[in-house]
Amino acid sequence: MAVIKALIYLLVYPGILFLFVYSTFCEWFDRKLYARLQNRIGPAYTGRSGILQPVADFLKLMFKEDIVPENADRTIFSSLPVIGLAIVLTAGLYLPLWNINVSVPSFNSFQGDIIVVLYLLSLPTLVLFLAGWHSTNFFSTLGGVRVLTMLFGYEVPLFLAVLSPAIVADSWRLAEIADFYQKFPFLLLFQIIGFFVAVVALQAKLERTPFDIPHAETEIVGGTFTEYSGKKLAFFRLMTDVEMVVGSGLIATVFLAGFSGGVFLGLLKFILKTLFVIAILSLIKAACSRIRIDQMVIFSWKYLAPLAVLQLLISIIVKGVIQ
Amino acid sequence: MKLKPAAFIPELLRHLFKRPATIEYPFEKLKVPDDFRGTPVLKSELCIVCRACVRDCPAFAIEIETLSEEEKKYKMTIHNDRCIHCAQCVESCPTKALFMNDEFEIATDSRLKLKAEYTYTRPKKSGQQSQTG
Amino acid sequence: MKKITIPIGPQHPALKEPISLRITIEGEVVKHADVRLGYNHRGIEKLAESRTYIQNIYLVERICGICSHSHTTCYVQGVEKLCGLEVPKRGLYIRMLVCELERIHSHLLWLGVAAHEAGFDSLFMYTWRDREVVMDLLEIISGNRVHYAINTIGGVRRNLNEIQKEKILEGIKFLKKRTEYYTNLGTTEPTFVARIAGVGILPKEKAIALCAVGPTLRASGVSSDIRKDDPYAAYDEIPFDLCTADTCDVLGRVVVRVKELIESYKIVEYIIKNLPQGEIKVKAPRKIQPAEVVSRYEAPRGENIHYIKSNGTDKPERLKVRAPTLANYPATIEMLKNCFVADIPLIFAAIDPCICCAERFVELIDAKKGNSTVLSMAEIRKKYYSTETKRNVVWPL
Ligand code: SF4
Ligand code: SF4
Repeated sequence: MAVIKALIYLLVYPGILFLFVYSTFCEWFDRKLYARLQNRIGPAYTGRSGILQPVADFLKLMFKEDIVPENADRTIFSSLPVIGLAIVLTAGLYLPLWNINVSVPSFNSFQGDIIVVLYLLSLPTLVLFLAGWHSTNFFSTLGGVRVLTMLFGYEVPLFLAVLSPAIVADSWRLAEIADFYQKFPFLLLFQIIGFFVAVVALQAKLERTPFDIPHAETEIVGGTFTEYSGKKLAFFRLMTDVEMVVGSGLIATVFLAGFSGGVFLGLLKFILKTLFVIAILSLIKAACSRIRIDQMVIFSWKYLAPLAVLQLLISIIVKGVIQ
Repeated sequence: MKLKPAAFIPELLRHLFKRPATIEYPFEKLKVPDDFRGTPVLKSELCIVCRACVRDCPAFAIEIETLSEEEKKYKMTIHNDRCIHCAQCVESCPTKALFMNDEFEIATDSRLKLKAEYTYTRPKKSGQQSQTG
Repeated sequence: MKKITIPIGPQHPALKEPISLRITIEGEVVKHADVRLGYNHRGIEKLAESRTYIQNIYLVERICGICSHSHTTCYVQGVEKLCGLEVPKRGLYIRMLVCELERIHSHLLWLGVAAHEAGFDSLFMYTWRDREVVMDLLEIISGNRVHYAINTIGGVRRNLNEIQKEKILEGIKFLKKRTEYYTNLGTTEPTFVARIAGVGILPKEKAIALCAVGPTLRASGVSSDIRKDDPYAAYDEIPFDLCTADTCDVLGRVVVRVKELIESYKIVEYIIKNLPQGEIKVKAPRKIQPAEVVSRYEAPRGENIHYIKSNGTDKPERLKVRAPTLANYPATIEMLKNCFVADIPLIFAAIDPCICCAERFVELIDAKKGNSTVLSMAEIRKKYYSTETKRNVVWPL
């Protein structure tokens, strides 16, 4: 019984199948919203209002010709997309989605799982860097280097921002943090700066405008993805989508009080809250132009990091006061 | 010059609740204006075979063949695949025998289908005079 | 750090047409740039020698899809000068009206492209949506959206009626409002300004020395505009201001272009309100006595020059076209020096390049020996196309 339950957990909900379906839905939502903000209609014909368009794109890419550059290391080049996808899917398992009873931790909920998720979310960046590096194409290499440079910019503010609610909640377990803010929602008001920093850092992590520097098409063609095609590109795109879901899920857990209330209500809350975060991400994407890599690093160290530190200070003070 | 962060957001949000500007083309078509330059068409009863259109067409898209000299039978071919829709032929024609219709969706899978052929007899001299005058 | 040379183009997402920029970079900084042309040579000048003056109007119109009216106007002005035609006032005014509408459409298009190169896709979508308005106006006037074909030797081909006038005024009013909004947005949105301010510097002396033209030159603080310097059509009768900026960077080029948009709206309104009555064209002779002429025109991108030589027949002996983009290449190289890789597309887009307009000439140079050769078409076929010429094709005339 436990095996079956674990299998369902891994493969169906909230594992691979759910994350696949939901991430394609989120991509559709993002594209549609982005289009409507720009006064366009966005995807329109595949499925109702184009809701199946991301799936169709995925399938189309799966059947496309798949080319490996001659000089590239075949094994690494081909395995990177799968590794990247596996990493983000794993990260998705730790979201406290199926957590009916907080006091009885299930196998994927333990002290410190917030750190695990954060680190699992850092790994795709490394995968992208390696992908760019191993493509042996100049544009990819430049993209890969930019990926890493950006990582130094946004990673610290993201960690600081996400960890500060944990400090107030006095726990390193996602489910407990969510539960804590469920009980004291007004404490979330003190985390607004952190929320803002985390959303901007997530935008950078997902490489979306204004931070789509590593694959800025008008500058360095496809950046890291220049040499990728067919199945591998499909996996990379799915990886980005899942990363978006997991990232916004993480933010929703720590800043928006999680998804309590059983399987169905929890799922509903999960969808609403992640879509809210994604809507903010889309709005940022529509409202900005791409900045340069040097400006990005300056921006994160001049504004994001001090704001995150400020948030940390506020959290510590708040914690002192409530104790 | 002052910088205003997020200056674009009000405009973006305003459009979120407006109808998209997209026109779903094959399902929904815009009307073309009145004197749109579409496809050249010949009113063969007016043509006096002066060949002004053949001479002036920049794309050499009009051909006139003499089928029979005695019966005054002619064949005009308008190669719509070569035509650049400039309407110079319409302007050059002294009798207004050519005009442009408003068809613009003329793509097909073979250029031979785009050929328009007209076989006709040249009208009597008198008719020609009254039309040119 | 090691120096690397990367190819931007001939196929690159930032370039909509084929051109090759060889960029030598050190890290993210450009150390040296080199432009290579010749990927899109179409032989238009040679073709023009075998066509009549009337047919050539439509040929030169196809030099460029965006400034199609610029090339025809430049060409017909030259031909009119050759045969000493006096074009009626109304004809000239309608010609100028289309000129200005074309400038509006070209500048709006450019604003969108520049925003896209900077990764600002929302601005791109909005400007292109609003550009549809002016495209529709041009369609109403001329019967087509891109190749207006309104010029003919001795005047224009279509008249303007009251309904059209009203529609134009309406459209211009809408565009005026939108342009003011974009001016505001383009110069205050922090991420966009961060990308364009101080990028692609071209000092005034350099701009003059390198013979830059059009908005690129005016953005370096030089007031030069053929419409003022050497008025053609009836521009000497029309009140308008010359727009310059002195920041010498891409921001300056944006500012110059949006200012010009506003000026163009004013000109269009003036023309509609003061449209003279009378004929729109005079009859032109088919054959032209031997003579030669140079015709200048301020296209949206800068000065356009046509040189025409006639030889007494109904076909020109020689037609030479100098499109504005060509004049801006040396300045581009200067601007690209010491910029960031990320700025290359923006700087290049800021001259509003129209690459196939500028491709007039191909020289075959032996890469090893360095001497140039002349090849006939048959030799080229034999040398570079291995396949036999296909039989039974209907197409070749
Ligand atoms: S429209 Fe122009 S190209 Fe077409 S047939 Fe007439 S003259 Fe020739
Ligand atoms: S110009 Fe008119 S009348 Fe003359 S041949 Fe052509 S269609 Fe006929």
